[in-house]
Amino acid sequence: MKRRNLFTRGLVKENAVLVLMIGLCPALAVSGTVRDAFGMGLAATFVLLFSNVMISIMRKKIPNEVRIPVFILIISTFVTIIDYVMQAFQPDLYRALGIFVPLIVVNCMILGRAEAFAYKNSVIDSILDGLGVGLGFTLALTVMGAIREILGNGTFLGMAILGEGFKESPVIFMILPPGAFLVIGVLKALINKYVKKETQ
Amino acid sequence: MTSTKNMVLTLLIVAIVCSVVLSFVYSYTEPRIAETQAQLTLRGIKQVINAQEFVEIIPDTLWKAVDSSGILTGIVFRVFPQGYGGPIPITVGLDLNGKITGVRIASAAEGLKETPGLGVKITEPEFKDQFIDKCAPEAQLKSDGGEIDAITAATISSRAVCNGIKKGIETYLNYLETPIDKRCVFSDAREFVEIIKDTLWYALKDADTIGIVFVGFTQGYLDCIEFMVGVGTDAKISGVEILYSSETEGIGEAIREKEFLNKFKEGSAEAITGATVSSQALIDAIEEYITRYKEYLK
Repeated sequence: MKRRNLFTRGLVKENAVLVLMIGLCPALAVSGTVRDAFGMGLAATFVLLFSNVMISIMRKKIPNEVRIPVFILIISTFVTIIDYVMQAFQPDLYRALGIFVPLIVVNCMILGRAEAFAYKNSVIDSILDGLGVGLGFTLALTVMGAIREILGNGTFLGMAILGEGFKESPVIFMILPPGAFLVIGVLKALINKYVKKETQ
Repeated sequence: MTSTKNMVLTLLIVAIVCSVVLSFVYSYTEPRIAETQAQLTLRGIKQVINAQEFVEIIPDTLWKAVDSSGILTGIVFRVFPQGYGGPIPITVGLDLNGKITGVRIASAAEGLKETPGLGVKITEPEFKDQFIDKCAPEAQLKSDGGEIDAITAATISSRAVCNGIKKGIETYLNYLETPIDKRCVFSDAREFVEIIKDTLWYALKDADTIGIVFVGFTQGYLDCIEFMVGVGTDAKISGVEILYSSETEGIGEAIREKEFLNKFKEGSAEAITGATVSSQALIDAIEEYITRYKEYLK
């Protein structure tokens, strides 16, 4: 497979959230606003990228029997790092994301890439793969966050863009939990209709 | 055997490296985290009361607000009443009369769990600024006999805020002990330095001692009279305040009147007709105290 494809396939064609349907928990829970969704996406991308790199570097040294505990150790180390850093420099974002930052540890997207890709491929390839999947996750969350924030609160990144009148009485439903399911369903349908046909 | 050893060794090494890395990251971010937390809290309490400094009394819950001379100007407390979706973090400022100076309710990003679009309207000024200048009994919804308008379709959240604030005031009101404001008797002074605990202070202005302030007692007609006096270095009285007295109502209590107390400043204080015992006791006592503290006036 061409190196370029390693990066791009994670963005849309094999998008973790919208195509593979993994990592849904944070995607549904923290996509209420663009800021939260983007922050969550970047945090997960950071962990995914660095755990991919570390695991790829050590892949020949890790005995097969203990590979999962080693993966978890490495992943949780990076999650703890991002947890501390976010707490120190982005306290508002940290409070908004709450429990979903520590929960990146058990995000199956990250463990999945470690097991399915980084453990078997070179460092360069693992970087491309981690970046592609991570940014695909960020993209999916940000799009969901944008749709939900614009319709549900009348704002984008906190700025009123649909006029003050709309901000007074927005579609509150979109910001509530059911809105997340609706948005992810519609996005999934769109992806199925347009992207999958192209690839066939 | 080799493979078992290998497994154990790999896990051990990975675990050790991870913990070392984490301890470095922790030692680097820990002071920053504490600082950010403190700033966030301070930012919150500064929004509800105007004061120079805050003294933490109960960690994360109660602060005393003091001005630059260290005189109490109010308190700030935090309460977390149960709302519709979870606890509502509220910060309230109280002035010395027990009236609310400001209310701050955490936003959704800071952990408010009320319904978006409905319950979260409690954070908007239209609602929370209604509390300003109210005291505890008034800080209730109109339907509960108070003066606060509830938010339409968010009565539970609105009522929770009112009850939380009311309960908080009742709990912490006793921290508003009437302060002995030394500037009442020495308006020129900017700072006071304690010489004898709760009894005698130097009055300072631009680092110069310009006089003393003391608290004294004397036996009145019925009970003890506690008073505070400011005296300049020229031995002139700058002000007298009665801190405590329970003299005969309407007669002996005349010693609290400004007309009488102001005469001390001119050095022409004389006994009040009808309250001779109380007023004479005060005049004599002040004279005696000034003689006693004379050496501090040099």
